[in-house]
Amino acid sequence: MARVRGKRLKGRPLRRYALFIALAGLFGVLLLQTSPRLRAMVDPTRAMAADQLASSARPGLWDQITGKAAREARIRELEAQVRELTRYRSVAISMAARLEAYEEMLNVMGEPPVRGVTARITTETNGPFREAILVNAGRLQGVEEGAYAENEGGLVGRVVQLGERSARVLLVTDFNSRVPVMGEASGLRAILFGDRDDLGTLTDLPERGDFILGERVLTSGEGGIFPRGIVVGEIVQRGGTLRVEFGMRDSQGGFVRLMPSMKIPTPEAFPVQEAPSEETETAASEGAEPQGAQNPGAP
Amino acid sequence: MARRRDQGAVSGISRLWREAGPTSRLIIGFLMVALVGIVGLTPKSLFDQELVWPYAALVAAVGWGRSGVAFRPMVLLVILGVAQDVSAYAPLGCFGFINLSVFGLSAAFSRAFDRERAPIISMAAPVVLYAIAFSLVWLLASFASGHVVQVSPLISAMVVTYVMHMLMAPVFDLGRRIVPLTGSMV
Repeated sequence: MARVRGKRLKGRPLRRYALFIALAGLFGVLLLQTSPRLRAMVDPTRAMAADQLASSARPGLWDQITGKAAREARIRELEAQVRELTRYRSVAISMAARLEAYEEMLNVMGEPPVRGVTARITTETNGPFREAILVNAGRLQGVEEGAYAENEGGLVGRVVQLGERSARVLLVTDFNSRVPVMGEASGLRAILFGDRDDLGTLTDLPERGDFILGERVLTSGEGGIFPRGIVVGEIVQRGGTLRVEFGMRDSQGGFVRLMPSMKIPTPEAFPVQEAPSEETETAASEGAEPQGAQNPGAP
Repeated sequence: MARRRDQGAVSGISRLWREAGPTSRLIIGFLMVALVGIVGLTPKSLFDQELVWPYAALVAAVGWGRSGVAFRPMVLLVILGVAQDVSAYAPLGCFGFINLSVFGLSAAFSRAFDRERAPIISMAAPVVLYAIAFSLVWLLASFASGHVVQVSPLISAMVVTYVMHMLMAPVFDLGRRIVPLTGSMV
């Protein structure tokens, strides 16, 4: 007991000395930092530690909890995208001007300017029946029969039912949808339809050649419903077969743009009107003259 | 019934705390200070009002100091001090010095006046200790920045630190008592 007590008494002054030594040491460190040279040596380490601990650039814990950090990251990402797109826009403007000039030179019959309606998806049906969406724009908003819908990811579907204020769009992912497509790189044509596993299946494939894995699938413009060149998806491989991953799945923004379908009238609808021949014109004028002769006094 | 259950839970926690050794108490206290410090690094405004944040390490220094001078609390206080120096952009060693000073003073104070843990001393001693601590902060900040720094933010911080002390002092009790003087009634 006495031994333990003795140990305690011994330990106490040691701790006390340690406290004084630590205080003196820390004070010494403080004093040393009054020297600019020593401070300059310490500063880089300090800055690094501060970066780790309290840098304002790093999102705080509260920001992470409230999601502010994620929002700010998203804003930065979107700003970068806007900068990139601004660059593309200027390139596109110059290219459009050049294309216009070429078309004028070559006398190309250009496509009519597109006008579309952006609508909100109000209802989505993807049960065992049809995969379709209901959008809040109809005939009154300028949606036309047979219009097709697209979002940022690509082709969404086509209008199968048109109301005054709403329209039902059959999705390309539906089993009953048939979209004539082509490979962007391979140029091969096929018909695409939706399947049970959220991937598209290609049918009516050409006998020779095959789609390239990873290439984009675009509408081929055949059939006259979808214009050529709309992105539908990308070729992926599943279970040894090439399938199409739909691009529309990438952006689930809740809005679609309804574009009028490509309406190219058949030749029969607008037959060429025969220009009146010279003989007919003469006969007509001859037929008209006697009338004047019969009434010479007419004014 | 629910009240009884709540009381049971509280008594269970207090029993656990009573049985906890100094090491566990020290770790819990350290984690608490670290948590308060980390939250303090985040923007602290409520309804567009800037919040004053307590100096949790000082609460720990006062609390741990009441159990006497020991090595482990000193080491932890120096570590916390370095973190405070870095986050507050103070000269290195500044907060370590303040924390250790308060720790030593708290130990000396308890040894001299608070052996019986009288409530009045328990209430008044921290006020004196925090006053000394914040005076040191003011002094060192003024020396380091080359001009006399504002006193009012430090007074606000001191008040908030004292409030935190009142709320969380038991967390920083290591469970060791400085031996009462011979012949006392305790």
